[in-house]
Amino acid sequence: MDLAREKIIDTLLKEAGKCRACRFCVDACSLYQATEGVESMAPYGRIQIIKYLLNGTLHEDDPIVYSLYSCLQCGRCDRVCQTKGQNLEASYLIRLGKYLLSRGLVKGGKDEKI
Amino acid sequence: MDVDVKKLAGDLSKIVGKEQVFTDKPTSVVYAKDTMPWDVEEKNIPYAVVRPASSREVSGLLRYANERLIPVHTHGSGTSLVGLARPKTNCIVLDTARMKDIRVYPERGYFEAGPGVHLAQLRKELEKHNALLPVFPGSELVATIGGTIAVNTSAHGVDAALGKPGDFILGFELVLPTGEIITTGTESTRRPAGIDPTKFFIGSEGLLGVITLVRMRLIPLPYFQHIMASYRTTEDILDTVMKMYKQRIFPPLFFEYLDEMAAKIGYEAVGLEEPEGAVAMMRMHSWSRVGCEDQAEGFLEFLKTCNPIEARIVKDPEEWNKIWGSRAEAGNYMYRLGMTFGSEITPRVDKLRDAFREAKAFILNLDSYQGNEFISFGHIGAPTIHAYAFVRTKDISNEVRKAITMEMREKSEELNIRYGGCGGEWGLTAQRVSFLKKKYEKEVYEVLVKMKHALDPKDILNRGNLQGWI
Repeated sequence: MDLAREKIIDTLLKEAGKCRACRFCVDACSLYQATEGVESMAPYGRIQIIKYLLNGTLHEDDPIVYSLYSCLQCGRCDRVCQTKGQNLEASYLIRLGKYLLSRGLVKGGKDEKI
Repeated sequence: MDVDVKKLAGDLSKIVGKEQVFTDKPTSVVYAKDTMPWDVEEKNIPYAVVRPASSREVSGLLRYANERLIPVHTHGSGTSLVGLARPKTNCIVLDTARMKDIRVYPERGYFEAGPGVHLAQLRKELEKHNALLPVFPGSELVATIGGTIAVNTSAHGVDAALGKPGDFILGFELVLPTGEIITTGTESTRRPAGIDPTKFFIGSEGLLGVITLVRMRLIPLPYFQHIMASYRTTEDILDTVMKMYKQRIFPPLFFEYLDEMAAKIGYEAVGLEEPEGAVAMMRMHSWSRVGCEDQAEGFLEFLKTCNPIEARIVKDPEEWNKIWGSRAEAGNYMYRLGMTFGSEITPRVDKLRDAFREAKAFILNLDSYQGNEFISFGHIGAPTIHAYAFVRTKDISNEVRKAITMEMREKSEELNIRYGGCGGEWGLTAQRVSFLKKKYEKEVYEVLVKMKHALDPKDILNRGNLQGWI
């Protein structure tokens, strides 16, 4: 495992693990609004998807991309989480998740954990 | 249970449309997760998430589920703190998010709302009509009106001041577990006397039907006055509450407290000077400005007989927002610093102090974890004690998290039984079936099972919640 990837995964595991699933962030998300409330298209959902991808419950070949890449990086969810939730930089974590996917750094496969 | 997910997706698409059926695992995992502090397991992951927009579509879905014997789990916003929101079996999740119409009828004296409307949005809409939403959970930003009425939660509200949300329900449109669409109640502001099926569904936790429309009386928006009081110890606040009921002082709409540790954390979080001890905060309400001021003055006089360090009416809205915010921030900051494992203890009011002492003792001597701290805050005027085990790390396994949750549950149940309470905020099934069985005669649980069976013979809706699941 290269150092950059290791560091990203460590950060994501630690930070995504803090999400309490309060869902306070969802209404701030334009994509959540545009989809009439689909939770996998909300910051909460994206964070959970990253977490379950990293713990092996989800896999790279699950249809994850549509959720992570739908994030507009507007940062409104960060404000909500900082004031009402767990003080996560949700949009940054989602960006890191996308980075892993884009660079093929999530090895995936049904039986292989990262 | 073997389910052909591809066929399932095709069948469900015919009911709600292709765009509203999700069978991808990421979406299913996201809907299965709730605030319970351990990860979703394979047994919880839904086959599909379906998002109907009408009673007719809900009916179609439930009829299909009955034919195929596939459980259906209703989902509002998943904010339950006791596991109601997590599916207990592989199932179809019925997401109510698209049923979010709000219609306010001032001339009729009521409003109607779809179950998926978020409370904060509903409050904002009602305030345009000078009306109060009588529902006050900490999760109101995202909690739904359907879920709130399904649990009939008082949350911050003191029952003795305003009642429970269900007291303002005039009727429902809902879909029975077997798919029949029914209406209950009245369009008059006069609620039915005698048997009213509406009452069967208020607080039924989604076991008896899916609410597709809530009709609720419009309540004039009252005037508010705010009071804060600091005390040397939490016990002084408990004594105040006991004395309030004993002397038949009219209780505030909100009567919250932060124990010594919570007050310190909460005040620091909002930029207020560290208090000397524990803090209580109250919201008084009345239908006239003068009446409200009079009530606040009267309550202040009462408080001054209860040995506070300081008690005063807070007139400055900015200061009140900080004081009130410290209540929410205390909980947030605790969770940021580590993990909290909660309890809901609602003792007979004359036993408040005994129950608190015992809660503190058991939490500081857990079998499942050593080294945790004790912290408490909550709706003490109700009275509700939220006593927490606070662990200063998130680095604990799913198994230990479950063990602490179970022990907290079991021991707080013992206190509720010993001191005559049964909760009033978080719901009674899901985690707490064992409590029902312990507290009441066995016939009580059997009545619930028979009611469930009468309306849902194939146990389709929210399967597992009435069985007790962990």
